[in-house]
Amino acid sequence: MSSTTATRTVVDLKDVTRAYSRGGERLVVLDALDFNIDEGERVAIMGPSGSGKTTLLNLIGGLDKPESGSVRVAGEELMDLTPPELARWRAGNVGIVFQGFNLIPVLSAQENVELPLLLAPLSRSERRAHAAHALELVGLADRASHRPGQLSGGQEQRVAIARAIVSDPTLILADEPTGDLDRASADSVMALLARLNEELGKTVIIVTHDPLAAASAQRSVHLDKGRWKSDGEGA
Amino acid sequence: MPIRLIFRNLVRHKLRTALTVGSLAIAVFLLCVLRALVVSLDAGVRNSTSDRLIVQSAVSLFVNLPASYVGKLKAVEGVDSVARLQWFGGYYQDPSSFFGQFGVDPEKFLGMYPEFKIVEGSRERFLTERTACIIGRQTADRYGFKVGDTVPIIGTIFQRLDGSPWEFQVAGIYELESIVWDETTIFFPFEYLEESLKGGAASGPPGSGVIYIHLAEGVNPVNIAAEVDGLFENGPQRVQTTTEAEFNAQFVSMVGNIPFFVTTIGGGVLAAILLAVINTMLLAGREQRHDMGVLKALGFSDWAVFGVMLGQGVLLCVVGGGLGIGLAQLSSPEIAKLLGTMFPGFEMTSEILTNACTLSLGIGLLSGALPAAATRKLLAVDAFRRGA
Repeated sequence: MSSTTATRTVVDLKDVTRAYSRGGERLVVLDALDFNIDEGERVAIMGPSGSGKTTLLNLIGGLDKPESGSVRVAGEELMDLTPPELARWRAGNVGIVFQGFNLIPVLSAQENVELPLLLAPLSRSERRAHAAHALELVGLADRASHRPGQLSGGQEQRVAIARAIVSDPTLILADEPTGDLDRASADSVMALLARLNEELGKTVIIVTHDPLAAASAQRSVHLDKGRWKSDGEGA
Repeated sequence: MPIRLIFRNLVRHKLRTALTVGSLAIAVFLLCVLRALVVSLDAGVRNSTSDRLIVQSAVSLFVNLPASYVGKLKAVEGVDSVARLQWFGGYYQDPSSFFGQFGVDPEKFLGMYPEFKIVEGSRERFLTERTACIIGRQTADRYGFKVGDTVPIIGTIFQRLDGSPWEFQVAGIYELESIVWDETTIFFPFEYLEESLKGGAASGPPGSGVIYIHLAEGVNPVNIAAEVDGLFENGPQRVQTTTEAEFNAQFVSMVGNIPFFVTTIGGGVLAAILLAVINTMLLAGREQRHDMGVLKALGFSDWAVFGVMLGQGVLLCVVGGGLGIGLAQLSSPEIAKLLGTMFPGFEMTSEILTNACTLSLGIGLLSGALPAAATRKLLAVDAFRRGA
């Protein structure tokens, strides 16, 4: 796991193990894993179902904690943070895009995008301006007042991406961002993530099953049963 | 935005929210009315003063006291004034048109009851005219009686021998400053009744039902009551002297366990609505589990999502409770009219309404706290895993 072009390491996982208890049995999902990602990289994590991809992404995003090992992300050792500190850290450093979009159905696209900004010291008008800008970036300025139920899957995912980038995070984590989309929408979402990486310099980590999606990354890595299978440059 | 999120989540299922709000409104309305009923039963006791004593027969309230007792009572040291009071027990037009009528010594009675305010007509006329009467505001409004009208009352205990009704001229309409009596009763001069009986124009028991005593300032009512009871220890009619509060409490106890019964119903209503609202909020909590996970993943703290869930419970109950309270307040004059003489002191007091507000808020906090506590502990990854 080595960086190729960037100079600063954003993600630094050392000897990370995560296991669950299922029916009295210990199930190891990540097994003494090391992983580094440098600033500005666009990395695809691939692997079969149950290989530990999402668990790895959750650890990087501070949504979960490992059993042992060190998780250092954006200069912070996440193992040392309390849950409230972790929530604050997440709000300032990570934007997450989920497979199921995970938009709040009772809020409009604009309001969904504004949500992360509620945690920042911004006025209402500033929040609205930032959210409008993020929606413009993903090409949905004209859908700001629509609720998720009134948008297509591709549009919902683009709103989710706008929500992920609106607070200008260091890292964008995308968990199967094209999983529920048709090919055209999937290509559009991957192109958008690539643009965010190339034009805005965001570090993007994508968990995916889709080889075409992985092909758009600069580097792809493969997990199998909680261990690395290979690590190479993406197409 | 969190406020908006709380509101939007509440109206996510409009029908369910409307039904819950409606149930709450009805329950709070009922609780207010039931509480007002209990309070009204007790109003006479609460507003009683310690400077008024009531002398009644030790045998029964329905046994009259001899006329000679009045003079003896006046002579007791510490007694300021004495007024006779006789339950008349007649009816107006129809036996179902019931309101109380009492023969009293007008000047003495009004003198010891400054709470009675003659708001229309003439106090002087009541004090001086033999067949004059004063009528409570509620009865005057109910039957449209005005000053100067003649009110025919058909006697049951006291009947005119020529078979005609008793006729009283309305000298005034009274209202009460505090609920020491009710605003449904007619008071007329006791002398009119007494003279009719003595003159052979009417039949009925002689004497007076009870005698009211007004005490001089600074006199201990317990000592006077004991002295009065001792005065008539050897007859001809033994008496029981009580304070006004004790006397009124007898009437409350006469209606048996109504306060307990009504309070129990209220408790049942409260428990039922609490469980219904908790159920609604638990359903809402389950439905929003995924959304709360999203908020946590975005960086909202455990307490922030706790607040979003709790806020929904509170808002739901404040709206429902507020509607119920508003309904109770707006409808209380009509309810008081409907209840009429059964609950003459019926009033939606500010204390009842404040308690209803507190109760609504309490139900909201309790019903919101259960799903909120579960949401607070929820991990975002678990929310996505189970709720996806």
